Amino acid sequence: MAMMTEHTTKAFDADLQELARMIAEMGGFAERQIGDAVDALNRRDAALSQSVIAADVKIDNLQRDIEEKAILTIARRQPMAVDLRDVVSALRVSNDLERIGDLAKNIAKRVEVLDNELNLQKVMRGVEHMTELVLTQIKDVLDAYARRDVIKALQVWRGDEEVDAVNNSLFRELLTYMMEDPRNISVCIHLLFVAKNIERMGDHATNIAETIHYMVEGRALPDERPKGDNTSTTNVPYKN
Amino acid sequence: MNSMAGMGNTTQPPVPTVIDRPAQASAKLTEKVLVRNLSFYYGSNKALKAVNVPLYDRKVTAFIGPSGCGKSTLLRILNRIYDLYPNQRAEGEVLLDGKNILNPGQDLNLLRARIGMVFQKPTPFPMSIHENIAFGVRLFENLPRAEIEERVQSALRRAAIWDEVKDKLHANGLSLSGGQQQRLCIARTIAVKPEVILLDEPCSALDPISTAKIEELIDELKDDYTIAIVTHNMQQAARVSDYTAFMYLGELVEFDNTSKMFTTPADRRTQDYITGRFG
Repeated sequence: MAMMTEHTTKAFDADLQELARMIAEMGGFAERQIGDAVDALNRRDAALSQSVIAADVKIDNLQRDIEEKAILTIARRQPMAVDLRDVVSALRVSNDLERIGDLAKNIAKRVEVLDNELNLQKVMRGVEHMTELVLTQIKDVLDAYARRDVIKALQVWRGDEEVDAVNNSLFRELLTYMMEDPRNISVCIHLLFVAKNIERMGDHATNIAETIHYMVEGRALPDERPKGDNTSTTNVPYKN
Repeated sequence: MNSMAGMGNTTQPPVPTVIDRPAQASAKLTEKVLVRNLSFYYGSNKALKAVNVPLYDRKVTAFIGPSGCGKSTLLRILNRIYDLYPNQRAEGEVLLDGKNILNPGQDLNLLRARIGMVFQKPTPFPMSIHENIAFGVRLFENLPRAEIEERVQSALRRAAIWDEVKDKLHANGLSLSGGQQQRLCIARTIAVKPEVILLDEPCSALDPISTAKIEELIDELKDDYTIAIVTHNMQQAARVSDYTAFMYLGELVEFDNTSKMFTTPADRRTQDYITGRFG
């Protein structure tokens, strides 16, 4: 996309750039939270999980700051057209990032519940794989946001199918473990939530992708997003 | 409001007020004025280049653009005010209800009664408030005195200034504040029952409160009149108009629904102008 010329009022450019910088900061921090939360889960690291939980307030503060800045920009600059879409998009993206942060915190909270008696290596590998996919999605979409790259945003938008596929298979796997042995249920339920949280993070990444499209093109994405999550209709029959 | 109550003559037709045009029943868009391939010359300088733009009936159309783009020039062609000046000529057509008003046979006084104009600097006549309104009415119509009173009152009410002046109709028009003078000018314009009202930066010289009152007035007037407004204030154009035309260097660059123009303009130049990236 062609670079836009500067505003005659330089302070206006500065305001918009500051918003973009704050989003980038918030995004980077959210990515770190996700990585740390899943890491803490994998290694049963209670100290790390506590620091993730404590750090979530920083994301909440960033979201509040972005909101304030966006509203102030609207009041002071009366942005039109692409500038107005920029500011509104910053608001929307900050909401998605804040939810991603909450989901990471929620994962970290479950670390202490997970005992080490159950061998969860296989499942954890699935969770790690899903985390990698989602982290790439988030990184790519934030990149696309910074560079106003609609094509890259659309790639992320379509890429959620893969995340959903891994989630589906994790879902089945966990159901199977639970049916094998009731002692597994507690742990598996928590892991189910963890997987669901990561899948939701992926959905938020696609929300950001849709926002990017709106910001650049001025209209919403026309198509229905390919939705691959079929866990709501998944059933593993109990075989006695 | 019927001050003829004491007259007793019940066979008189109802006093025509400035609101006696039937309200638009359907939502169909009709072109009240159509500018077709209009070019304009100040001497040898071509100020307008083959402009095509409609003014839809009972809608507000705003003209925006940088200084010198031709928007005021265009407005002044619509009621042929340029005829007053030598060395200025127009080419092309301006159709009012399908008839070309640039035709040399066009009755200019009649035209300027159908298409009224309000200028940037309020220009009340140096007469009483009452006479400011009555003067124009008398020029065009031969009405009995009571009907003229009715028309004056009706125009002042319609221009949302009646309550402020009803007790001093014989005070000089120039004794009013700027905002009031401008509303007086609007009342004067609508007293002769025009169909189109042209506003050339009507609020540029006014404070924010007067501006807001006039914008509110425009919103009410558009039920009955076709309105064209030239404005430097983009936020005002966004607030008051249904359609917006962006002009640049004598050309019409873009014409669209105001909501679309200010959220997703099609032309890069339009976007640069409305977002303050111009120049």
